[in-house]
Amino acid sequence: MPRDRDRDRKPKRKEDFFAANKVEYIDYKDVALLRRFISDRGKIRSARVTGTSPQYQRLLSEAIKNAREMALLPYSTR
Amino acid sequence: MRTYELMMITRGALDEPAVQQVVQRFTKVIADRGGDVQRVDHWGKRAFAYEIDHMTEGYYTVVDFTADGPGLLELERQLRLADEIVRHKVVRPAARVKRRPTPTPASP
Repeated sequence: MPRDRDRDRKPKRKEDFFAANKVEYIDYKDVALLRRFISDRGKIRSARVTGTSPQYQRLLSEAIKNAREMALLPYSTR
Repeated sequence: MRTYELMMITRGALDEPAVQQVVQRFTKVIADRGGDVQRVDHWGKRAFAYEIDHMTEGYYTVVDFTADGPGLLELERQLRLADEIVRHKVVRPAARVKRRPTPTPASP
């Protein structure tokens, strides 16, 4: 039964962008990059959605928060 | 001495020469305290992502420099006091570089 097979299959792991590109430092000034990890309301996308590893998610959220403090990114929209 | 990266936002109401003067004033603070100004990257005027004190834009400048502890404290103190500076942030990129796993030495 195809349905049973679907249930047994492990979900495919999303690719971690930062690990794939061997990123060493997530720069808070790189607004174009950070924008890919926030929703259109300005909220940080969860690691589950983006596939970012816990280590990188921490650095990423820090970078986004730094960018927000310097008004490079919004805190929230609407 | 450590390497730091400063981003400062100067009031958008000023004109370009006035901003340059402000930037020079602070690079001088760094130099006077024995620091080394390695790079000044002036972004120019940029719109804020949200309103800050009823202002909508400001001049962004990024400065890479070295300083010792007291030197950095003095720089930040003066940045906080200056009316022309809307906001500033000092980071130490080197401290945030994700360390590569150190290769485990071969078994003894």
